[in-house]
Amino acid sequence: MKINFTEEQNIFREEVRSWLEVNVPKKSLLSLDTKEGFEQHREWEKTLNSGNWSMVTWPKEYGGRGLDLIRWLIFEEEYYRAEAPTRVNQNGVFLLGPTLMEFGTHEQKSKFLNAMATGDHIWSQGWSEPGAGSDMAAIRTTAVLEGDHYKINGQKTWSSRAAYADWTFGLFRTDLESERHRGLSFILVSLDTPGVTVRPIPQLDGEPGFAEIYFDDVIVPRENLLGEDGEGWKIAMATAGFERGLMLRSPARFQQTAAKLLKLYYKNKDQCSPMLQSKVVEAWAESESYALSIYHTASKMLAGGSIGSESSLGKIFWSELDHMMHQTALKILGASAELADSSEHDAAQWIKGFMFSYGGPIYAGTNEIQKNIIAERLLGLPK
Amino acid sequence: MNFNFTEEQLQFKNTVKSFLADECSSDSIRDGWAAKKPFNHDRWNKIADLGVLSSNLPEKDGGFGIDQVALSLMIEEMGYAALPEPVAEQIFLINDLMPLLPDSIKKEIRNTYQTGSKLISVAHPFSPNPLFLNDAAGLLLFNEDSYQFALTEDIDFIPLVSNDPSRELSKINSIQKSVSSSEEFEKINSAVAARGALMTGCLLIGLAQKMLDLSSLYALDRTQFGKPIGSFQAIKHMLADVAVKIEFARPTIFRAAHSLLENNPKSALHCAHAKYMSAKAAELACKNSIQAHGAMGYTWEMDLHIFMRKAWSLMACWGNEDKQQDIIYKTLTSSEEELGVLYTF
Repeated sequence: MKINFTEEQNIFREEVRSWLEVNVPKKSLLSLDTKEGFEQHREWEKTLNSGNWSMVTWPKEYGGRGLDLIRWLIFEEEYYRAEAPTRVNQNGVFLLGPTLMEFGTHEQKSKFLNAMATGDHIWSQGWSEPGAGSDMAAIRTTAVLEGDHYKINGQKTWSSRAAYADWTFGLFRTDLESERHRGLSFILVSLDTPGVTVRPIPQLDGEPGFAEIYFDDVIVPRENLLGEDGEGWKIAMATAGFERGLMLRSPARFQQTAAKLLKLYYKNKDQCSPMLQSKVVEAWAESESYALSIYHTASKMLAGGSIGSESSLGKIFWSELDHMMHQTALKILGASAELADSSEHDAAQWIKGFMFSYGGPIYAGTNEIQKNIIAERLLGLPK
Repeated sequence: MNFNFTEEQLQFKNTVKSFLADECSSDSIRDGWAAKKPFNHDRWNKIADLGVLSSNLPEKDGGFGIDQVALSLMIEEMGYAALPEPVAEQIFLINDLMPLLPDSIKKEIRNTYQTGSKLISVAHPFSPNPLFLNDAAGLLLFNEDSYQFALTEDIDFIPLVSNDPSRELSKINSIQKSVSSSEEFEKINSAVAARGALMTGCLLIGLAQKMLDLSSLYALDRTQFGKPIGSFQAIKHMLADVAVKIEFARPTIFRAAHSLLENNPKSALHCAHAKYMSAKAAELACKNSIQAHGAMGYTWEMDLHIFMRKAWSLMACWGNEDKQQDIIYKTLTSSEEELGVLYTF
């Protein structure tokens, strides 16, 4: 055990920092859930790619730098410290990317990873359906193999980023006789394909962060199947593992939020009770713990270990922490906690984050489902 | 950056784990309670023979010179077994502190405590009632601005009753003769407080894990409405919540131990953090474990309370959650460094 950064890791940090200092837009971008903002964020993905920063852990041939997970965590730390824009392609780079790396053919990797890195393909997720939320194995949207293509019919919902995205990935029932998690396949679909209709759904903040996707005889080439026909559940579980595990929520965002919260409290402490001081300390302590735990996990993975059901522990931890921090910030702000005009009030950013934090315990598998996973797979309790 | 344990560190942990599985059963702890002699000298001697008591002494003094990370791993196992003898106190509060103490006190302790087989007790404003003074050769006592070492025969003390029958406590009335010092008081006081926090943190994580394991087994075994109660989500979620708390407290322990090893200037903060997180984990483990056990959890007969009682005591001493919170807040708000991602390592 040696919990310090090496000289090389520090040099890498400097390199990330200087690039971000020059390149992060000085003026914050419009919301990525507006049409204009989405395109601004796509431009930012292109800028990142021009510096070769799309995903540092990918092999060089797919637009990455071939670096390890510790370097990725360092990159993320500098990224959040620089307050760089939200990654509009996080579904792609953090979720589909690692999945393609594990299950994709060489052709699929070169086509999709490169287009992902350049920001030409922005991805949405297509898991849930009206009748398949927490119970994802109840998926009914069908993809019938007809010669060299699949014909897709049905409906996906709560599809994050789908309002403006170019592609979606998800699970489809390829064996019509099958039930539950058997007979599902993992397929990539361009949202430009005829027969696809996207209906944006405004979220709590009023903006269409997710959408419904309708499929009406949508023809998708067979080479868009990831892995084997019928193997979709296994692949989806791996993707979900990445999402809940260290990829989707690297610790940096929470550490930075905790630091801001402490500053906010210190500035306003004369109007606050000691109860809030205790919450502020809890925020620092938990975000710090999350970071330590992720470095612990990353070290295990580098030594050849893998991340399994443990990722459910992390998902619960960061989502509850994020909500607690934003709730505390609004309490510190007192009566101004409702002032939503960001040009005039500090509160606006916290309000936005506060509303977003309500989603954390729901998306990527609700925390209740995660607790079932922990109880059954880690504690050995019966189904 | 490598947050993995070495083979050697894990070996120490496993040695202690298997020793305690054989030698520190709940029945043996209950025997000590019944006899009102929780300190089992036979077990203490075996632990000494195993080399645990001197494990972190330098090789020239007959130890293995193991580091604080390996110690934490070992101490976690002592928590898991609810070991009554103050082995953790001995290796973390005496052996590990020794190099920092001034020669005058070091010499006295060395004279009393040669191969690590004889007990020295410790008292500090955060933990004022020393453990097993009747079995100790001497006491290292921290006051408000000085510290002293006294032989047990020179101390006038009376017994105090702990809510954990495994802990024999004393109240010190007066000390007739001692060697006292105030040399580098701030530094040494903070060092012992940090070690006390980390030591209780390690024990608490072990205890929390034990309570979770006992509860999971009970939930598998106990049947109601025709199925094991562990198949109900209400029980599953309660125990999953405990698993989450333990998972995110544990790395704080190893980081704090590593900071002591490296003489990291933030080690006091890191030890406070470790105690804070593990006390919270243990607190929830107590609450949810007793709940998962139902009325059985509220009995003297069920072993759960052996671990719960120790956890309650250890949460309270060497700085409870509230005190650690205070240390964290003061450290962060007086920091000259930028907080956030750069502050962690």
